[in-house]
Amino acid sequence: MNMHCFQSIRRAGAILALAALTPFALADGKMVIKAGTVITLDGDPIENGTIVIENGRITAIGADVQAPWDAEVLEYPNLTAFPGFVEALTNRGMDRANENLDVTPFLDVRDSIDPVNFFFENSLRAGITTLNVQHGRNCVIGARGHVVKPIGMTVEQMSVKPRAGIVLSAAPKGGKSSATQAQALRAAFGDLRGYLEELVHDAKNGSDKARREALYQGREPDDETSKGRAMEGTAWKVEGLETIPRWEIDEKQAPLLTLVEGKMPAFFYCRQPMDVRVAIEVAEDNGFLARTTLVLDPACWKAADLIAERGLPVILSSTLMHVERDPVTGDEIETFVPGVFAEKGVRFALRSETPLNQSLWFQAARCIGHGLSREQAIAAVTTTPAELLGMGKRVGSLAAGKDANVVLFSGDPLSVTSNVEYVVIEGNLVYDRAADVRMRHVETGEQPENTAPADAEEFDPHPEDDGAGEEEADEGDPADDEKSDEEKDD
Amino acid sequence: MMLQLAGALYALTLGVAEPAPAESMVVFADAIYTSTGDVIENGAVTITDGKITAITPGETPGDGDLHVGAITAGMVDLSAHMLGYESVEQSSEITPQLRAEHAIDWFGVAWQRQASSGVTTVLVSPSDRNVIGGLSVAVKTAGQPSLEQRAVKRDACLRGAMGSEPSSGNHPAFGRPTDFYSRRPTTRMGVEWEWRKSFFDAAQGRADGAEPTAQAAGLLEVLDAKRPLFIQTWATQDIRTAVFFKEEMATEGFGEINLILDAAAEAWREPELLVRSKTAIVLPPFPDSGRTRDNAFMALSTAKQLVDLGVPVALSSHGAGQHRDRLGMQGALARRGGMSLEEALQAVTITPAKMIGIDDRVGSIEVGKDADLALWNGEPFQATSRVVGTVVDGELIVDPR
Repeated sequence: MNMHCFQSIRRAGAILALAALTPFALADGKMVIKAGTVITLDGDPIENGTIVIENGRITAIGADVQAPWDAEVLEYPNLTAFPGFVEALTNRGMDRANENLDVTPFLDVRDSIDPVNFFFENSLRAGITTLNVQHGRNCVIGARGHVVKPIGMTVEQMSVKPRAGIVLSAAPKGGKSSATQAQALRAAFGDLRGYLEELVHDAKNGSDKARREALYQGREPDDETSKGRAMEGTAWKVEGLETIPRWEIDEKQAPLLTLVEGKMPAFFYCRQPMDVRVAIEVAEDNGFLARTTLVLDPACWKAADLIAERGLPVILSSTLMHVERDPVTGDEIETFVPGVFAEKGVRFALRSETPLNQSLWFQAARCIGHGLSREQAIAAVTTTPAELLGMGKRVGSLAAGKDANVVLFSGDPLSVTSNVEYVVIEGNLVYDRAADVRMRHVETGEQPENTAPADAEEFDPHPEDDGAGEEEADEGDPADDEKSDEEKDD
Repeated sequence: MMLQLAGALYALTLGVAEPAPAESMVVFADAIYTSTGDVIENGAVTITDGKITAITPGETPGDGDLHVGAITAGMVDLSAHMLGYESVEQSSEITPQLRAEHAIDWFGVAWQRQASSGVTTVLVSPSDRNVIGGLSVAVKTAGQPSLEQRAVKRDACLRGAMGSEPSSGNHPAFGRPTDFYSRRPTTRMGVEWEWRKSFFDAAQGRADGAEPTAQAAGLLEVLDAKRPLFIQTWATQDIRTAVFFKEEMATEGFGEINLILDAAAEAWREPELLVRSKTAIVLPPFPDSGRTRDNAFMALSTAKQLVDLGVPVALSSHGAGQHRDRLGMQGALARRGGMSLEEALQAVTITPAKMIGIDDRVGSIEVGKDADLALWNGEPFQATSRVVGTVVDGELIVDPR
């Protein structure tokens, strides 16, 4: 019992430390970052470059840019400035990534995101400044996702872009076969169509059922939704939808309608190459193929030709290498997946493997080791995911007008010997490695005062140690020291 | 003509072929890291009949020559877990007389994995589900599939384990023991007791002048420092147990054990123990957030901290289950933890070779040594490069072209 209390206190300490690290209000002041090298990904690197930031946005960037007289100036002549990495899609940082229900587009991951989850803290350490948090793949149609930054104590503070897409899965949800999964996907859109047609039919007959249901669900019209609007989209249309005020459409169906009208990005999970065909068919039949990004497991490289033919972008699994056994010879066949898509001219983004020391920088570096160009590899963790999220104008590179998300590395961002020293998000200095006690713990083993391991509840390295976090790593048993001295004398 | 014919006839009749012309190969590289502290820029390694015969600086490759970014010695993995899944040896929990070499599957897929990642020598050890498993054998990762062709050193060390693994799966017997698992040790205490009892019995038996049993003979050879004792210990408590055990054997006058600890994730906690007992350390793959097995916390700078204190440190893949755990990547992570390129290089080549006494043949690029090379497409132990080719005993096992 005592132990438990103690752990709670230590955990509280850890959260306080985190809070101190993350001021989350948007900066309204002016900031200037001067770095030895500025890699903009928007033109050539700039030696001794200056980045001017106002109101969280970059206003000027270059070698001979005048710094405003009243700006706070951060000078890092030995560091390299780089755009914050963009995590194309993640299911981490959530309470639970999957639902029991098959079709849940009415849910929103904003209700599942846990701002104090260590995943976000670790992402910040790795220089990831934008994350697309999406529902897991164990679904037919999942919740709406949310693009966030890895700072803030509430989802509102973290928010960068709400309702950033809906996930669908062509890979069978647990207990389903490929056939029932495909059928469930088609049925979801069939149900939507049936519901909308019934709505129009009821309205023609003077029924106000939909309105009563909407009021019962607690919805109210606003300027935009009080009017009806003809159905948009390229696949199928329900005639007469303009007669239905939009606010009357059931909230369980409305998100799917935005998908069919081409107003919402779709992220379609595929596990096997055969899933790709189903995903393309469903997206095409319902008019959102142009807004679809495929989220692929390694085996799907075998469908690369089909994907290239349809011009779809992809997000690749963190396992960059596909390994399979030749059924006859028993030999292991390894295929480097990003290499296949690069060769076919498919736009691809990478996901991080583990948040801490094998993050997006590492994934990009591995691609270079396997023969991709540096530009291709870096684009897959910066500009490409930014474009896939529809945020190419805001994040992914450093240019005037973009969000001021800047990572300062001690050297080449893709080198094992470089570290993230500082991170600036929307004009706020939110990470300083010198003050990062948890990082010091992982690197040196030193456990600073008032911190606990990430999963303290499950594991305590020194259950017998109830002191206030004293350094005991280097303390041996006094008896050992004596013995040691004796041996020295010998 | 006549002479040639006579010669051919002579060879034919005796069944002796004329000696084949020497097999020769030259590999060019932008940099050759020899593991002896030298880096030779723009050089070439010449191989004749499976041995390194020349290392020449300032060479420029011609068209069609084998040319790579960098060459290091073939890597040596002391904790490669090449036997795959093995059941528990049920004849006893102390089986120093068993040999891992009798259980090697030369056709398993693990060899291809190791060789293609630049590992050319592995130590194959018995499973760690027993307290003392048996004798390990050092073998090459490619070549003819037989022990005679592949062995670098047989009976290279005696393998055992401390910590939770040797007792895992065992259960106490309530009433009559039901199976083998109700007899074996079920706790760390039990495991430690098995270690002490078996060694004490062997040493005491010798003092009493009794003829040693096969089991005792295997332990006495370790006490006589004929070969190292290689113990798996993840957490500090087990590292302590192993070091104190070694010191106790010396204090009792039983013998000086040459101790190597495998998977010693928490070796950074009490490095002075390792320094004073002259214990060598083999590290498991670097974890992502510190936690490894047996709840041990492994700091990213573990290898660097130990090497700075003069403790011999080798890195290992511990089975290379995941792609990133392979040995070359461990070198890269050791650099992230502060090791220099040279320190990381030695920790995967010459240091492990020295630990088990095979550095006369492998572990560095020197004239006269086995032609075991890892060929890289860039700077070794860097995330942006990898092993693209492997040479084992002069054979190009993986061709980078």
